[in-house]
Amino acid sequence: MGNMKIKAKAKGDVVGVKVLAKHDMLTYDQAKAKGKEANFITHIAAKVGDKIVYDVSTSQFWSKNPQFKFKFKKDGFKDGDKIAVTWTDLSGKTVTEDKKIKGL
Amino acid sequence: MNRRKFLGLGVMAVAAMPVALSAFSSIDFRATKPDAWKAKTVEDAIKALYGDIKPEESGVTVKAPKVASNGGAVPVTVKADIDAKSVAVFQNMNPESAVAVFNVPEGGIVDYFLKIKLKATDENGGNGVITAIAEGKDGKFYKGTVALQVAKGGCEG
Repeated sequence: MGNMKIKAKAKGDVVGVKVLAKHDMLTYDQAKAKGKEANFITHIAAKVGDKIVYDVSTSQFWSKNPQFKFKFKKDGFKDGDKIAVTWTDLSGKTVTEDKKIKGL
Repeated sequence: MNRRKFLGLGVMAVAAMPVALSAFSSIDFRATKPDAWKAKTVEDAIKALYGDIKPEESGVTVKAPKVASNGGAVPVTVKADIDAKSVAVFQNMNPESAVAVFNVPEGGIVDYFLKIKLKATDENGGNGVITAIAEGKDGKFYKGTVALQVAKGGCEG
């Protein structure tokens, strides 16, 4: 825990999700300057149950501790459902955290 | 068509069903389109990702501040009015162009917000441009752009 802050809330027919992921997002240039290995999130996916609701391949140019938001239709989801957000970085590390969706 | 053949076709159709009904699956565009992430210009990145396309200049909107004071975290919003299969975001300020490629799930809404790092634009009229391309389910491509200035770069740090 502690790698992500997730907020998910249904409003009307739509669920809105806000995520703050904790990651240095060290670009190749920054890594070179610091004498470190570049490492950044390369893929983010979010699921409710086994249904994918967000799927993005990412580059080194997402900001440090990237913040992102997305929306999806709430059809088929019910009270108590959780959203699980997973990121994978260049080093192969994978982190998943989940949060109950409010207002379903 | 004789009866035997007809039944055979039926079995094949049933066998093909699970493929047609299979759930939406994740795509790693870094693995499937590695050259798109190495491209140094927006044109080359688009070509590596989608091929030689002629996108319509509509259907997609990109929002960013006109002047970003901090290039370390420039807020960007991408929206599409069309039914999209995928959406890609590029910029022309950093060493490579690709920022993100979204694989749009069933029920997904193209209204994406993200914060990105951008190098400072130079004062001699060098404009920064963020470009978004949406691949429509209709097989067409759509394009939206936004111009911006970045006062202090976010990639040097």
